[in-house]
Amino acid sequence: MSSSVSQLQSLLPRESLLWIFAAQLAVLLPHTMHLPVWLLGAWIIAVYWRLEVFRGRREMPGRMAKLVAVCLVVAGLVLTYRRWFALEPMVALLAVSFTLKNIELVSRRDALLSLMLAYFLAATLFVFEQTIPYAVYGIGCVVIITAALVAQQGRRSARPGRALGVSAKLLAQAVPVMLILFVVIPRLGPLWAVPQNTKAASTGISDSMSPGDFSELSKSDKPALRISFDGAVPPPEQRYWRGLVYTHFDGRRWSEPGAADGYPSWGRGRSNRRAYNGGNGDGSERELPAVGPRYRYQIIQEASHNPWLFALARPHSETRGVRETGDDTLVYRTPVGARLAYEVRSWPRELVGDSEGLSASEQRRNLQLPASGNPRARAWARARFEEGLDAEEISQALLSLYNRSFVYTLKPPALGADTVDEFLFSTRQGFCEHFASSYVFTMRAAGVPARVVAGYQGGEWVEQQEYLLVRQYDAHAWAEIWLPGRGWVRVDPTASVAPERIRDGLQSAAAEEFMQDAFLPLHKIAFVTRLRLQWDMINYRWYQTVVSFNSERQEGLLRRLLGEVSSLRMALFIGTPMLVALLLLLVWLKLSSRGPALPVASRLYLRFCRRMARAGLSRNPGETPGDYARRIEQEQPRLGPMAVRITSAYEKAAYAGDAQAEKQLRRLLRGFWPLRLSAQARASARV
Amino acid sequence: MQKIISAIVADIGKVLLGKEHQVKLALACLLARGHLLIEDLPGMGKTTLAHALAQVLGLSYKRVQFTSDMLPADILGVSIFERESGQFRFHEGPVFSQLLLADEINRSSPKTQSALLEAMEERQVSIDGETRPLPEPFFVIATQNPLQQSGTFVLPESQLDRFLMRISLGYPTRDAERALFQGVDPRAQLAQIKPRINGEGLRKLQSLVGQVKASDSLLDYLERLVQHSRQSPECAVGLSPRGALALLHAARAWALIHNRGHLLPEDLQAVLPSVAGHRLQSDGTDGTQLVERMMHQVDIIAA
Repeated sequence: MSSSVSQLQSLLPRESLLWIFAAQLAVLLPHTMHLPVWLLGAWIIAVYWRLEVFRGRREMPGRMAKLVAVCLVVAGLVLTYRRWFALEPMVALLAVSFTLKNIELVSRRDALLSLMLAYFLAATLFVFEQTIPYAVYGIGCVVIITAALVAQQGRRSARPGRALGVSAKLLAQAVPVMLILFVVIPRLGPLWAVPQNTKAASTGISDSMSPGDFSELSKSDKPALRISFDGAVPPPEQRYWRGLVYTHFDGRRWSEPGAADGYPSWGRGRSNRRAYNGGNGDGSERELPAVGPRYRYQIIQEASHNPWLFALARPHSETRGVRETGDDTLVYRTPVGARLAYEVRSWPRELVGDSEGLSASEQRRNLQLPASGNPRARAWARARFEEGLDAEEISQALLSLYNRSFVYTLKPPALGADTVDEFLFSTRQGFCEHFASSYVFTMRAAGVPARVVAGYQGGEWVEQQEYLLVRQYDAHAWAEIWLPGRGWVRVDPTASVAPERIRDGLQSAAAEEFMQDAFLPLHKIAFVTRLRLQWDMINYRWYQTVVSFNSERQEGLLRRLLGEVSSLRMALFIGTPMLVALLLLLVWLKLSSRGPALPVASRLYLRFCRRMARAGLSRNPGETPGDYARRIEQEQPRLGPMAVRITSAYEKAAYAGDAQAEKQLRRLLRGFWPLRLSAQARASARV
Repeated sequence: MQKIISAIVADIGKVLLGKEHQVKLALACLLARGHLLIEDLPGMGKTTLAHALAQVLGLSYKRVQFTSDMLPADILGVSIFERESGQFRFHEGPVFSQLLLADEINRSSPKTQSALLEAMEERQVSIDGETRPLPEPFFVIATQNPLQQSGTFVLPESQLDRFLMRISLGYPTRDAERALFQGVDPRAQLAQIKPRINGEGLRKLQSLVGQVKASDSLLDYLERLVQHSRQSPECAVGLSPRGALALLHAARAWALIHNRGHLLPEDLQAVLPSVAGHRLQSDGTDGTQLVERMMHQVDIIAA
């Protein structure tokens, strides 16, 4: 009986319930993008049930009902995900328990628990997204949850304005602490590997290329890379961001065996000598000159869910987890599931030179052709070869063929079985992939080692060349051929058809066709384009300063702030602001608790009291000035007359409102030094 | 004016030996237009004080001995049918006097007590639907036996509040008692007292009380005293606004008696025990002790 009574007393009032539901909805809403939608439905049912309980129409669910509910949602999770140890099922589990908590939301303790869970769930949002809108939303969530916490205090503080106000004030007060913690909290590596969501569709350039792939990409204006240079900037026609090399052709599709698996066994070429860039770069130092022209830049790559990275030719990166391959590309140790920043140095090929010959296996790999198909192209190649032309001349002949009679278009006609033959000799309309594919095929048929390179080309300057924005529609495919004595040489067949594509980008090369399928042709409005670039820049800075603030940058910042990072300086750095803040608080409290300032007369009289106290006779609390004066007269007769005069002056000033008396009191006090007086008296007594 | 006041105090002092402080308090209470409750054992001179006060101020004086079978009409008066005129005529009760001594008020029933107390508060009496004003000035001195005595009806707190002051006379000093033994006859002295002031003069004195200046510093002190009484965990019930006003008014009268145009903290402290003593309550402790403690805890100047 007593327990039920106490439970009734601690039952949640209406306001506090509504606040909890508001906080829950705010937290759950963005999660519906990643988590199954039925979760929101479950939440609505749970909330409805709880509200019915509140109105007294329904009982709190019994143990059986709860058990059934738990079984149902767990079954739902299992059916949705079919595996446990990944990020999303875990977050979903958290969200589900959060949802089910509603049907046993009884006491204040339950309410606090639910709100604490809400904080946690709001934080998990950042596992998925770290962009500015999400950050703003996250802050909003925290404000609402905190307001809900405030509202638990009772009726008056549950009013929306007041709860939100208190919450905002609390959080504003927490901002300095947050900033300090952001700077100083050690950035630990993850304690366990967070299982990445590998099911997410990979975006951007894939591990194979078949006709039509790149024209798909050209429809997307999503950012792919953001590149900021430190020092020299390559000219536009050199901005080939190499991502992937395709060496295998099956008649229709170019691909790279093993690329999608993260290159576990890529031991060809230079990579077996270089291995990881974990820090000892002796292999690469031998290869790449320590001095000389090179480009230094940082690339921020959007999540692609593929392991390959993008860089100019002959790249080298010191960033942890980044590895070079034998094909002069960079790969990351895992698929890039979130934005990734990496530093690269690149040496232009023509400066490095590569006099090594091509190994037999490499030769085989780069001359591979399907056994049959595309006979006309093969015949054309053989004819050139039999004319006695060397590799460069064959390439020239092919390029001038392109130049003469080919059309660059985003909407090429569909190709049949012999894609190269049809493109070269009948349709003659194509996109970069068609040119690259047919070029490499023909060169290989002529006996020249060649390969297709996929990546991005070009980019758009943002904000006075602060960084280069490369979008998905900048995706490009080109070719590389092996020339004895010169090594791999880049050949871009597209350039011979549409040089403006290389110089000015896709938009000018395919003016009418560019982004034709877009819902709104926003790219045609200069203002909107500028606005979008501005927004991209804000995003870039956000990422640069906040999201990518890792342990290295933290150390750099601290070093800049403190000179050197020692525990003493750290303690000073953290302690000093805290101390200052506490002192300010103390002073403020002192000032605000003093109340109105004392009138002048009272202050003067208190000075008199202090001097008397030093002379050994202090005023008792509650003793009136008159009584005190009489006591002084009695106990220290020498000071008596003066004390009486001062007291009467004070009484006149403070209680009779006599302005003259205040001046008199001041004058009297100036000559009243009881200690000195008594010392003089003692001295004169001795004489 | 000051001469008159000191003469009044001296005159009463001849009758009530060695009780100058209490006499002044009683006078201050009268000047502040309040009523006085004297609480003491029988034979301490309560009646003498009231009588002397009435005589020296030239007030009409009546005395009522309260008993347990008294009815309100015994105090307020009754309408009696007169056969010769064929009409009801109102016979005024003892309450229609300028100074009423209500002796041993706690011996009467609550009904009678409250009839008197209402008259004290309203300064008028309503009988048979007719409102009759009481004479001006109207001053009640009630005496009360300490509550331990048997056969008494305790005055409830709300009614205690009607009295501006509660004082007790206490035993006389040794000198005063010796003088009594040596044959000074207070009764004879009492008969010799001549009025020092008339009704007009008394009214003037009472109006002078309101003109005594209370400075901001003093009001601060008063405020802190009142706040302390309300907030201190020792006091179950603090001073009401009426109590605070009473304190200020009584202190003004006290300052006037001491020939001052402005209030000093001493004035507040002098009247505080008698004004606040019966208004403060606590569990177990006497109100007077609370006041003593309060005076020592609240400083004159806010530190």
